[in-house]
Amino acid sequence: MRTKDRVKSQDQHILNLAEIVGGSRSILYQKEDLVAYDCDGFTIHKHLPRAVVFPKNTQEVSEIVTYCSENNLPFLARGAGTGLSGGAIPLNGEIIISMVRMKKLISVDLENRRAVVEPGFVNLKLTNSISDKGYYYAPDPSSQYCCTIGGNVAENAGGAHCLKYGVTTNHILGLEVVMPNGKIVEIGKDGIPDAPGYDLLGLITGSEGTLGIVTKITVRVLKNPEGKQTVLAYFDRVEDGSQAVSDIISAGIVPAALEMMDKTAIEGVEAAAFPVGHPKDIEAVLLIEVDGIAAGIEEQIDQILEVCRKRNVREVRAAGSEEERARWWANRKTGFGAMGAISPDYLVQDGVIPRSKLPEVLSRINQISSESGLRIANIFHAGDGNLHPLVLFDARIPGESEKALEAGSQCLKVCADVGGTITGEHGVGIEKREEMRFVFTEEEIAAQTDIREVFNPHNLLNAGKLFPSPSRCAEIKKEMKAQAIS
Amino acid sequence: MSVRELDLKQEPPCTSGLGNYLWSDPPDEKKWADCVHCGMCLESCPTYEQTGQEQHSPRGRVHLIKSVAEGKLQVNEQFMDPVFQCLDCRACTTACPADVDVGGLIEEARGQIRQAMPLTGVKGAISKFFLHDLFPHQNRLNTLGGLLKFYQKSGMQKAVRKTKLINIMPQHLADMESIMPEVKEPVKKKYKDVKVIKAKGETKQEVAMLTGCVMDVMFSDINESTINVLTRNGNDVVIPQNQTCCGALHVHAGDRDMGRKLAKQNMEAFKDFDKVIVNAAGCGCMMKEYAELFKEDPEMHAKAEEFSEKVEDISKFLHETGYEKPKAEMKTRITYHDACHLAHGQGIRQQPRDILLDIPGVDMVHMPNSDRCCGSAGIYNITNPEMANAVLESKMENVPDDVEMISMGNPGCMLQMAMGVQKYGRNQKIVHTVQLLDWAYQKEDRVKEGKE
Repeated sequence: MRTKDRVKSQDQHILNLAEIVGGSRSILYQKEDLVAYDCDGFTIHKHLPRAVVFPKNTQEVSEIVTYCSENNLPFLARGAGTGLSGGAIPLNGEIIISMVRMKKLISVDLENRRAVVEPGFVNLKLTNSISDKGYYYAPDPSSQYCCTIGGNVAENAGGAHCLKYGVTTNHILGLEVVMPNGKIVEIGKDGIPDAPGYDLLGLITGSEGTLGIVTKITVRVLKNPEGKQTVLAYFDRVEDGSQAVSDIISAGIVPAALEMMDKTAIEGVEAAAFPVGHPKDIEAVLLIEVDGIAAGIEEQIDQILEVCRKRNVREVRAAGSEEERARWWANRKTGFGAMGAISPDYLVQDGVIPRSKLPEVLSRINQISSESGLRIANIFHAGDGNLHPLVLFDARIPGESEKALEAGSQCLKVCADVGGTITGEHGVGIEKREEMRFVFTEEEIAAQTDIREVFNPHNLLNAGKLFPSPSRCAEIKKEMKAQAIS
Repeated sequence: MSVRELDLKQEPPCTSGLGNYLWSDPPDEKKWADCVHCGMCLESCPTYEQTGQEQHSPRGRVHLIKSVAEGKLQVNEQFMDPVFQCLDCRACTTACPADVDVGGLIEEARGQIRQAMPLTGVKGAISKFFLHDLFPHQNRLNTLGGLLKFYQKSGMQKAVRKTKLINIMPQHLADMESIMPEVKEPVKKKYKDVKVIKAKGETKQEVAMLTGCVMDVMFSDINESTINVLTRNGNDVVIPQNQTCCGALHVHAGDRDMGRKLAKQNMEAFKDFDKVIVNAAGCGCMMKEYAELFKEDPEMHAKAEEFSEKVEDISKFLHETGYEKPKAEMKTRITYHDACHLAHGQGIRQQPRDILLDIPGVDMVHMPNSDRCCGSAGIYNITNPEMANAVLESKMENVPDDVEMISMGNPGCMLQMAMGVQKYGRNQKIVHTVQLLDWAYQKEDRVKEGKE
């Protein structure tokens, strides 16, 4: 805290922005501070922002945005910066609007099962604040210890338990948004679901910070399930593990979570801070959680154990205590960060595939791994087919970052080829812009950028994200359209 | 340090450094290679909680430290700010999925900063006074202790407070003055001529004890309690007279040369013992990490690793070697604060709690976020009072209302928490875990003797 410091800068814009947010404590503009903001959880692309501002309320956000828009300054919003696709990286030297100081829990209305939070409020803190009353907030990305709900809305974040309860968009009842021209609008007022007209909540959620900046969020909260049990199963063959996944779903069970890790992923989590003692020589571990009315749980667990045994499981057991269950989940949820223990850098991909294609996809990913010479670990939300190949590399070795990007891209191509898609929950950001072409035609992409133009006509807000740079053909079409209008 | 030495130091001794780290003993590349920038550390960090700023977060600091090595940043004033705002509380190391040693990196970076930019002027004089002229010299500390005792006993303290002379002190020093414990005789001095303090009853083993610098002047009664508890449980206690300050304050401040010097002296002082018992979390953690200071000296490195194996916190030692459960009722409601360098630094959480729960009549109330830093952090509360106070405020919000005592295992925390109690109008007594155990034993003895 440098209290006495005044904002000393040659840049008049920085002085003016400092004025809006109230001085030196709420703005960063010196290189040594800005370097800390040159990337988010996606570390391959780095770029310095022009400044970082820390607004305290919606009004300040609106004033900052108005200022940027009037002065033609690119800008973007950032939460905790844990995003994995580069959505908060200031590619164009943006002014970063950090939302972390807007971190209040504004209200909780358990009778109507909703809560209102500011965007910088940390995901897990919501559950922690209402758990003693028997409620929780369902979307649980692995980064929930530190990621913000505002960021979750931008990325439409998922998580291990989204198989049964849905992703962020299924839990958003209302938003206050500062539009790219600075205007404050409310969508889904009072948290009444299913308002008539276009589903603007659905459009904003998952728009990766390209349509507006969310400043207040009304979310749905759920009653804690009466009972909960978790099963751990070790398989010698990936085929058996993935077949067990399909069998569980076909048996009519909807687990709250159904997770899988492969051999390399197991090596990582076991070498890191929360090991649980998984055997080193198995090909797949499944973590299966069921919850709901207490009476039905035991029966479902028995069914799951039965299915696993039929599929040649080496060892399968239910958690003996809440403590054991918590340890299994800590091991799984810190899985990405754990890769640091076996590799200096990693790049996580986020493909979605039909469950039945898993053995085929994994063997093709193995092939990509051996061709590229880079190890690839797989962590998989198996229940909903959301696959996370983690490409392990060392950025200090010249050319390895590029190789990792290429290998990641090939993994996504495989996912798209088997009838899946290129992202389940991490967003497109910078990372998967080009891969959008695997799943959309030029026309389909143009239709989406047309929507962006309605909200963000000058493309000052988070430009260069989500969509590939327009190909020649699309550019020409746009020029023609512009000429026609003029 | 003379002016001439200062000048010498500003010239890098060699160019074998790393990127823009020009001096020997630069931050260790292997430590940041484990960090994948996931952000799981953010919420664990007290300075990130206060500022919301990445450069004041563990991940951000690691990123900046790495950027200097990559040549993107210089070791300069701006870089110094995030590196020195860190409390070195190690909560991030607990939170990190990949066990990144952020604290180690911070200490190494501070070493580079202090060599690139030696402190000058008033700050330099104060730092030199404390770190070079005071803490390593037990006799000077004792003299200071004597002066403080005189200050308290002579009526001067009353006079200073009454005459409002206290109002001209900076606020954070005035706050500290107000909670200064009553100074008693240091145990190192008291047992100067006693070779071995014999165990009561049969001797199980012999242990050496670190008396500490601040501990022995400000809290000699805790050292006394430690001796009582050790001897009661079958340990002969030796207090080597040539031991010195552990060096933690120096290493935290970036003065690694002095740290090495003190480390060597202590390794020598304790070389004949199998166990070195420490009752201050910060000292114990430092002594367990001496090897970090000798990365460039394989022989000393190996020696330091061997030495660190012998160092043990009193609570862990008692827990492992067994202790007599006291029989007298203490009838008190307490809560426990995890000192950072015990919980995050040495992974000691359950042992002190078990000891407290073994005392009859102790009712333990859970403190939410008990392993959150209190803001003491060595001399951080003197160097960064504003942040230390903000951290303390958030700590005090978590102290349960209805307890009589707050127990912990570190003298720095005890001073800071005492300040918190005073400042926020609370009335808890601050105790060291081992004190409570000692009091229970003493009460038991008095009951036996029919005095109670």
